[in-house]
Amino acid sequence: MHPILPSTRREFLRLGAKGVGLLAFSRFAPQFLVQSTLAAPRPEKDRRILVLVQLAGGNDGLNTVVPYADPAYHALRPTIALKEKDVLRLDDHLGLHPSMAPLHALLQEGRLGVVQNVGYPNPNRSHFRSTEIWETASASDESLSSGWIGRYLDNACAGAGAPGFARDNEPDAIHVSAEVPQSFGGGVPHNTYGLSLGANAGRDDVALLERIASRPDAGLAAHAGQDHDETANHAFLRATLMDSLVAEKRIQRIIDANKPEAAYPFGNFAQSLRNVAGLIAAGLSTRVYFVSLGGFDTHAGQLNSHANLLRQLSDGLAAFQKDLTARGLDDQVLTMTFSEFGRRPNENESAGTDHGTAAPLFVMGQKITGPLHGTAPSLKLEKNADLTFSTDFRSVYATVLDRWLETPADEILGARHERLGFLA
Amino acid sequence: MPTPSLDPREAWKPLPAAAWNSDLARHLLRRAGWAARPDEVARAVNEGLPVTLRRLFPDNPPALERPVYLMRADERILELQRLKRSAPTVEDRRAYDREENALEAASASEFAFKWLQAATDPARSAYEKWLLFLSDVYVVSFEKVRRAELIFRHWDIIRRNGLGTAPELAKAVSRSPAMINYLDLNRSSRRAPNENFARELFELFTLGEGNYTEDDIKQAARAFTGYRHNREGFRLSERDHDKAEKNIFGRKGAFDGDDVIDLAYARPAAATFLPREMARFYLSDQPLSHEFFAPLGDAWRASGFDLRELCLRFFGSVAFYHPDFRASFIKSPVHYYLGLVQDLGLDVIPLERTTLQPLRQMGQQLFRPPNVRGWVGGRLWVNSSTLAARRQLARTLCSPFDEERLNADERLEIEVARDAGRRRFTVDAERIRAFTALGPRGIADRLCDFFLPGRVDDGYRAALVDYLEAAPDAAAFEDRARRAAITVLQSPEYQLC
Repeated sequence: MHPILPSTRREFLRLGAKGVGLLAFSRFAPQFLVQSTLAAPRPEKDRRILVLVQLAGGNDGLNTVVPYADPAYHALRPTIALKEKDVLRLDDHLGLHPSMAPLHALLQEGRLGVVQNVGYPNPNRSHFRSTEIWETASASDESLSSGWIGRYLDNACAGAGAPGFARDNEPDAIHVSAEVPQSFGGGVPHNTYGLSLGANAGRDDVALLERIASRPDAGLAAHAGQDHDETANHAFLRATLMDSLVAEKRIQRIIDANKPEAAYPFGNFAQSLRNVAGLIAAGLSTRVYFVSLGGFDTHAGQLNSHANLLRQLSDGLAAFQKDLTARGLDDQVLTMTFSEFGRRPNENESAGTDHGTAAPLFVMGQKITGPLHGTAPSLKLEKNADLTFSTDFRSVYATVLDRWLETPADEILGARHERLGFLA
Repeated sequence: MPTPSLDPREAWKPLPAAAWNSDLARHLLRRAGWAARPDEVARAVNEGLPVTLRRLFPDNPPALERPVYLMRADERILELQRLKRSAPTVEDRRAYDREENALEAASASEFAFKWLQAATDPARSAYEKWLLFLSDVYVVSFEKVRRAELIFRHWDIIRRNGLGTAPELAKAVSRSPAMINYLDLNRSSRRAPNENFARELFELFTLGEGNYTEDDIKQAARAFTGYRHNREGFRLSERDHDKAEKNIFGRKGAFDGDDVIDLAYARPAAATFLPREMARFYLSDQPLSHEFFAPLGDAWRASGFDLRELCLRFFGSVAFYHPDFRASFIKSPVHYYLGLVQDLGLDVIPLERTTLQPLRQMGQQLFRPPNVRGWVGGRLWVNSSTLAARRQLARTLCSPFDEERLNADERLEIEVARDAGRRRFTVDAERIRAFTALGPRGIADRLCDFFLPGRVDDGYRAALVDYLEAAPDAAAFEDRARRAAITVLQSPEYQLC
């Protein structure tokens, strides 16, 4: 339970120095003070931040990183294959989708990497189940209740002073989506914050609400004479409310004051990234951000809609990276895309593609080494067969956890997975 | 896991008549509907549980007329489509497109308002919530369908079949034009069957994951080929329909779509699938064991999958009233909103800004579920930004209605609503003044006992009493009475039912 107090330790100390008697009316304060003397805020240059970008619906990998030189590709997709003259060449075999010029430029500058043909054994073609597999980092036949980011936060909180533990009252992870991503679910609740465009922080007096939410021995009895036991949902609601009362004042202030140093395109996706950049620039100790771009379930007539989605992705990510670079923050942020599955290599009769298996994903940041990782999928396929993955998605996670977040990856993933070369 | 204390064989037996009381009536009214208004609680206690349930889930479910606006918009949309075909330039066509999109969006909003208005009527709350549940199983989304008229018809199909048998409902829904669009049946043909609908039919509508094979899906997809629709509704395109033999669930035959639905309901998993979905929507966000539902599933199968029988049994059972399932369920945004409207005795404000926008910010846009699974619900409803939106809504509905801020269009909407007799949009000063006569203790008790589920601990009441007693004068007391009400509606406890 987080007390209502100044929203950062630094702010607290500043107010304290001015002699504001906060201790006088907060029963939480003594513990808060003890904590603050134990661990001073880390300097901002040490932060390692991960931004996850979900491409919801199942991104068509073959039309994202295009094997334009392979005749099999054109045979599989008589109407939706992209032509050699249109793709943005990566080498003599592969090119990026034509609407991703900004990401192509970043790749040539060495700040974008492609991990090819990422998937997992025994692929599931259900959106929900496969999203769950990706977000919980589970095997296809096992069911985990916690997310991989949640387990990372569990781990970070368990060891005092371990990297990844956000400062008091600052969210451990922030998502820009109406629902909390499954990735964030931990063995213990974490302070996560949902940011929505246009969410309005309350301005009225919240003292009574604070008192009610923070009262000891809170409970609801089913009926008179019963014990006032607090249910798990009740406790969860109280904790979320207290956390949000603290966080919202501060975060809204930051976003109002955000002055990006790059032009972001219109649209919710780019604007979400704009706000994330503002929060990073403000020095929040939050380690993980989650942004979602939806609409990739392109069963029919996909040429235009997919081009439009990849343009939003590319323009948004490039603006974000430019903004971070201009603010001197690009060495602190790694961005990574993921999607629940790729799509069927054969186009369907509706000029779209059905649910498939493996697909490439992007990693972006100043520390990325090398443009292409893993191997491209083989297109020597039976009719309507699926791709066979060559890089397990948990290897991508293991690399990020180990080499970026500097945390015991194998422990969090429950098994040893090969590390990849996109981070040294 | 709350189940261990309940024996599945006992759980689904009818609640003994002697156990029925006002606490249980409040639980029923809040879970099956939105709120427990004192007059409705008294009536339910008086009538007894079986009579109450037969009233909440009636033989002849109430109709909802097609909003006039939808009919007018539809005429204009037809005209626009003609105009587009003969448009001389791309710019002209774009202008028609824009008008069409705007009309569709406005029509969807209009339907949302009409549904919310209907749902606030206590006499129809339970059935409208049941439709919300069924539409959360048989999901379609305006985001993809883009035709408000088809969304309206989809709900109408569910409404007309909502208390019949489940296989008949599934068959009717497979013919719903919105569903045919949403899951790509309109693109599925003998030569190129599209698997989208067949997959969701098994995974999300009837059986659940793990109860079919990939091959069952491929074969079933063939049975649903040729499903098309035109202005009159469903039609089967014989040319595109695959009449050849299929092999589904180990049975061979020249099955059509209806046969596939019957085959699905013959599978063991069908008997417990919908009851489990009901439990997730009405009872608990914790997954309950399959065994727990087995006796309910058996009874439901024996009734011929009669949905009304299922409702009467479910909401009349020992399990539904078990203390573990009370005052512990997180309200959905629609529930929170309609609960406020009923608890406060208000009318739906016919303005996007004050009604539909808050629903969106709380995470639930009517007719726009996030994906084909529908809303997951439970704790996923709650994060700091959705809680902030809930708090803002409580504040808006308990504050004087600010007509100065309205633009001309909004004023017109308000006038129309007033002419139709709907004028209580927010809690006005008069009602707060009447409330202050109860005094600090009386106000605290009234707020806790009327609005909160179960019985709240003394610390909660004490916080309210202290706050009210600290008012220095009568004006401040009135202000504090209002703020106390707002705070109770914002508090974690009011998010539960």
